[in-house]
Amino acid sequence: MRPIDILEYVLLSFKSDRRRAFMSSLGIIIGVVSIVAMLSVSEGLYSGVNERFGDMEMDLINVRPGSNMGPGPGERPSFAPEEPAELDDRDVKIIENIVGVKAVYPLKSASALLSFRGDNASVRVMGITPSHHEDLKVVIDRGRFLVDSDYKAAVVSYEIAQNFFRMDISPGNRIRLYLSEEGRYMDFKVAGILKEDEDPNYAPDDCIFITHKALEELLGRDEYKYSSISIRAEDASQVEATADDVDEGLARIHRDEAYTVEPTTTRFESLLEVLNMIKYALAGIGSISLIVGAIGISNVMMLTVKERTHEIGTMKAIGATAWDIRILYLLDAGMLGLVSSLIGIILGALVSGVVGSIARIPQEVTFSSALSGLLFGVLITTIAGIYPANKAAMLDPIEALRAE
Amino acid sequence: MTLVETIDLEKGYRVGDMVVPVLKGIDLCIEEGEFVALMGPSGCGKSSLMNILGCLDRPTGGSVILKGENLCTLSDGELARIRRDQIGFIFQSFNLIGRMSNLRNVELPMILQERPPNARRIRARELLEAVGLGHRLEYSPVNLSGGERQRVAIARALANDPMIILADEPTGNLDEKSTCEIMDIMKKLNDDGRTILMVTHDLEMTRYCSRMIQMRDGRVVQEGI
Repeated sequence: MRPIDILEYVLLSFKSDRRRAFMSSLGIIIGVVSIVAMLSVSEGLYSGVNERFGDMEMDLINVRPGSNMGPGPGERPSFAPEEPAELDDRDVKIIENIVGVKAVYPLKSASALLSFRGDNASVRVMGITPSHHEDLKVVIDRGRFLVDSDYKAAVVSYEIAQNFFRMDISPGNRIRLYLSEEGRYMDFKVAGILKEDEDPNYAPDDCIFITHKALEELLGRDEYKYSSISIRAEDASQVEATADDVDEGLARIHRDEAYTVEPTTTRFESLLEVLNMIKYALAGIGSISLIVGAIGISNVMMLTVKERTHEIGTMKAIGATAWDIRILYLLDAGMLGLVSSLIGIILGALVSGVVGSIARIPQEVTFSSALSGLLFGVLITTIAGIYPANKAAMLDPIEALRAE
Repeated sequence: MTLVETIDLEKGYRVGDMVVPVLKGIDLCIEEGEFVALMGPSGCGKSSLMNILGCLDRPTGGSVILKGENLCTLSDGELARIRRDQIGFIFQSFNLIGRMSNLRNVELPMILQERPPNARRIRARELLEAVGLGHRLEYSPVNLSGGERQRVAIARALANDPMIILADEPTGNLDEKSTCEIMDIMKKLNDDGRTILMVTHDLEMTRYCSRMIQMRDGRVVQEGI
């Protein structure tokens, strides 16, 4: 038989039994919908995260006290857990002298109570070295950023300035910071306000920047240790090697203390990896419903072959070969798969749109998720059609003609 | 010229451990242009013989020679091809496909032959017009009377221009008037040179035929004009 005639026969059988076609395609439609929806929602999650962190600077290295994780697989847990290292100016000096390091930004963060015109709110205070922060991403909305000669000046995040108090904080206002547990306080003059949604990624959105000098005085002079040290490498492509050098350099003075040196990209990459796993796990769940749909198709086709036994017998008697019949019924399944996959992709796009807008997840139906829905749909239904098609092809024409 | 020849043809069916013989050595010869009536009581093996001659079944002994070719040596696919190209079937219960139009039903053997759409449509139309159904081309056979359905079936049997027409009680389900119409068409086909082998119960039908073969209990018992 010519392909066009086979197609016509298959379409005729859809037309003559619309209910059958619809019922058997329902399972496949649902399966493809779930694959496409799950793929696009997780794809959206992935690209949303990617977008958010995409402007992250790839040449940054972070040094923190404490170890990153417990003992690795096969390692014995150490009996004397290492003390977290204390990071101070000595470390900054060492790091500054390592080849490949462009700039070093020690950071100290502390929580404090912010008082403004009689209202209080708890905030995060970040101690910084202003001159070092020139090339970190800080976008000022009004006023100016800190300079090294500043002492009792502060830069306030947009969030705090706009939403924390009855009155908005503006450059020039006076604010007071309390250290809650010790009752110590200091007054500051607001130098600048950060731009909305432009907080640097190393700082929370409820933070106040002041100089190390001021924070040191606020906290008490004796125990001023950095909470972390950010390092900018000279060459972003060499960031891993530079991180290793920093690690080695610090090992000399923190022999039995724990600290972590980590390029910021590492954490981001492992996050993307996890998202990728989630994506395929979700798609896997979707495929299960597709397989259930395929079993449904197989069942309906078995019934069809039984119903059409007489017709198949007639076709064989007038000269159809086993191959003719097999192709007819395989294509029947394949066409069902194709049409229902296409419907499934459209519905899947709608579903993921709805899910995305409810869950506030960015979502997009990518070409690849639509294509995998289509491929899986057609492939699995065709496989589901093999057994019934074979059954039809192998019918004995005499027996089949006798059947009513 | 001899069209079909059977030599000591045997057919047995396995029932449990036993083999029940249905055809017990049939020697038969059908010449080109004959109209042969095959008669006999139920269970005498007429249908089994027809199935073997129609390439739907294989004998368990002896041989069938169709136009010089021994059918017993052919594969299933080759038998299907002979059915498609050389044999026209007319069944008692018509065996038309109700989902298709009459035109499509008649086209079907030509679709299997992969003939070009235009050529086969023209031929199917001509054949249906020849059996008096030119005004029913796009109807479904479901909407036709028994006689009309059998006429569609005859048109279908002629579609591939077969060497021989095998008709299994073609008038068995028809009333008297339709029977006459169908037999007139068959007679006319034979007059045009078609070879026909027809199974029938009705002695009346033999008057259309050129020869009659009587079967009983798996054997040919009488041949006559």
